[in-house]
Amino acid sequence: MSKEKRKSLDIKVEGPMKEEGVLLTCKGIDKSFSGVQVLFGADFEMNYGEVHALMGENGAGKSTLIKIVTGVYHKDAGQLYIDEESVEISNPIEARAHGIAVIYQELSLVPDLTVMENIYLGQELKKYGFVEKNRMRERTLDLIKKYELDLNPDATVEVLSMAQRQMVEVLKALSTNAKLIIMDEPTSSLSAAESEHLFRTIESLKKKGTGIIYVTHRLEEVYRIADRLTVMRNGEVVGTLTKAEINPRTVTTMMIGHEIKTEYDVQRTFNDDFVLEVKDLRYGDLLKGVSFTAKGGEILGIGGLVGSGRTELLHCIYGAKKPSGGRILLNGKPVSRSVIKNINNGFGLVPEDRRREGFNPLQTVEKNIAIASHDVIANALGLVYAKKERDWAEKAIEDYDIRPKNRKMIVDNMSGGNQQKVILGRWLIREPRVLILDEPTVGVDVGVRAELYRFMRQLTESGSIIIMVSSDLFELVQVSDRILVMHDGVFFEEFPREKATQAAVLMAASGEHTEEGVPLV
Amino acid sequence: MKKKLNSSTIRRFITIGLVIALTALFSLLSSNFLSMYNLSELFRNAAYLGLIACGLSVVMVGGGIDLSVGGIVCATGIICVHLSDIGLSGYMVLILGIITGGAFGLLNGFIVTKLKLTEFVTTLASGFLFFGLGLVFAYRDDHGTLMAHSIKSNTYLSLGQPLLPGGFYLISLVWVVLAIILWVVMHKTELGLYTFAIGSDEKSARMSGVNVAKIKVIGFIMSGAFSGLAAVFVTAYERTASTSLGNMREFLAIAACVVGGVVLGGGKGDAVSAFLGALFLAMLDNGLRKFGMDSYVVYMIQGSLILVAIAFDSQFAKISYRRRVKEQRLSAQTLTS
Repeated sequence: MSKEKRKSLDIKVEGPMKEEGVLLTCKGIDKSFSGVQVLFGADFEMNYGEVHALMGENGAGKSTLIKIVTGVYHKDAGQLYIDEESVEISNPIEARAHGIAVIYQELSLVPDLTVMENIYLGQELKKYGFVEKNRMRERTLDLIKKYELDLNPDATVEVLSMAQRQMVEVLKALSTNAKLIIMDEPTSSLSAAESEHLFRTIESLKKKGTGIIYVTHRLEEVYRIADRLTVMRNGEVVGTLTKAEINPRTVTTMMIGHEIKTEYDVQRTFNDDFVLEVKDLRYGDLLKGVSFTAKGGEILGIGGLVGSGRTELLHCIYGAKKPSGGRILLNGKPVSRSVIKNINNGFGLVPEDRRREGFNPLQTVEKNIAIASHDVIANALGLVYAKKERDWAEKAIEDYDIRPKNRKMIVDNMSGGNQQKVILGRWLIREPRVLILDEPTVGVDVGVRAELYRFMRQLTESGSIIIMVSSDLFELVQVSDRILVMHDGVFFEEFPREKATQAAVLMAASGEHTEEGVPLV
Repeated sequence: MKKKLNSSTIRRFITIGLVIALTALFSLLSSNFLSMYNLSELFRNAAYLGLIACGLSVVMVGGGIDLSVGGIVCATGIICVHLSDIGLSGYMVLILGIITGGAFGLLNGFIVTKLKLTEFVTTLASGFLFFGLGLVFAYRDDHGTLMAHSIKSNTYLSLGQPLLPGGFYLISLVWVVLAIILWVVMHKTELGLYTFAIGSDEKSARMSGVNVAKIKVIGFIMSGAFSGLAAVFVTAYERTASTSLGNMREFLAIAACVVGGVVLGGGKGDAVSAFLGALFLAMLDNGLRKFGMDSYVVYMIQGSLILVAIAFDSQFAKISYRRRVKEQRLSAQTLTS
């Protein structure tokens, strides 16, 4: 680090001066990635001392806009202004120099160092080669007092709560005189009480004149802290609302836009003789008593925000996580707590993180498909015949149109859609009775999606149950026979297929009751 | 706000407690355990192991491992005897020994950071390399058979002589002083802080602007230099450099670090941990042998202790984690109330 920068730290430790007026303006920002335009003339403006929320569905362009402001991406057209002066930000270091700091979802703190050591990491105050811990401590205390935070400068970061760690991140940003702090879904890993803690920190920053861009999926947080809200959709800024204008209906309509829904004409019959019952399931702080019944032949969609406990619910049913309370019954019999036993009893899981939990990326298609079926293809001694394995894989490749049609293909080298077909095929070939899908089409292109939906339908027509968690509202509404929306650790509303709309599901996920849904709490 | 003991401090007290307990046990069981002569021998042995362990602890705190320290001791020791043979004084040999060891460490650091190989594989291989290098320079008779070669330089030999009439060697004093200096370096300088940062979370450290490669290279140089220093002293004491010099020392040094509280994987521990760990292992060795135990029994006990230490540290980490979760709950409660 340059001498100059260190000097500037010595002079100004109190953080940004209280300033008035416009802090940041983005005008007509365009951005394309390899020919695909993802931002269309985005306009955005924010003031000193303002908390400006930024919302939009996944892929709406929020992250791209943020990354242009922080110098990670380069805009194709448009202009950025800071303090109403036109600026060029071509890398993150320049963004820092302009007083822009980002707090990422994944925190960048070192757990074994203390609070002050983390704040000054990479920019230590030194004298004769020794780190001046006393001066660093004093300055950290000054900052803590100024923003009225509850932190001990000498506490090791590993003993801090997530909310406190975020405060350290904020202090780290303030120690370099940040006047604009961008928070990217900061509450996704926080409990309710911890979020409250963070909101207080934000209030305190606001009072001191710091501007905050708050990227979130949670509408209730927007009411709580935002002064203004900008909504993005498909790479465009749909509009900016003032605090008074923010209401759930307006926001969800802005986020979803015009809804197209295919008519539902097929009459489904559900099999009452085959039911999966979950009763008052609890898992730590995430699941606070979840109950539902799924019938044979049904695709049960589960909606809700990321981090609302959906994945944990699926893992509990599958036996991969141990619930802290409640019962899971299949046809009245308790479901085992062992994944292996459950697989043998007809369960299957397509996990959210397919690279880490779904497949073995460096293995072939054949091995990845056969791995879950060794109970069928191994002989009494547990030996697996290569021929059986091959037949098994070739059947799956043929039935589920896995491309390229090569059982020796390394899965890592395949497209996202075909990787997903491999994992889905692994289970479908076993004709599972209960198939659990967690975000089944993330990174899968549209054409393959339709195929996956068809395979899912085929399975339920044979009487099996599918439980599908999805953040893709369109998918949830189109594919599910029934939708349960999670909010705050419980099922909040239920939507029968014919009533479900994306806007209504989104509202319920944000903790707002809707006309379309059946309230469960 | 009340200052809470952090897990490192608690771990330090546990190690000190172990050393004290062992001292008490052996001094009760054997009247001459605390004799001047025995303590002097004990501290000489501990220092030989401890110097290597202290250097190694820098690499280990940074999240790495250095399996080549045994090889470095061997090669440096033999090179030092050659240096003294060509007429250099003992003090020059001392300095050059440190430099030679440091240079070996630099090579390790270069391979790890530039070629991006893992520490484990790199130093496993380079350890063999250094050991082979030592054999190349080893003294042989006319038939090519390895032979003992006595050091002639008096200044060199004086490094291995007791400082006081009753005992106590220079190596022990150097060890104590260097361990303290290294503690200061690790806790009071940027180099030390960065080493902890890298060992604790390399990615975060890099994102905060820490030059990870530089710090890692310095760590390896320190590890090599400390091993080189140990080699000079041990050759001076033994009056020769044998090819078995440094054999298996890397594992004992790692064991010393681990027993003392340096966590494999980095981020926790320091030179004082290595110091205490080496003292503990040397004391154990000394005491057990005093009761006429065979060396294989000593090995078995040492091995078991290392397992216990690792198992303890993993449990200890879990307990600290639980404590943290509990505190988190408490602070969340005070928030809501």
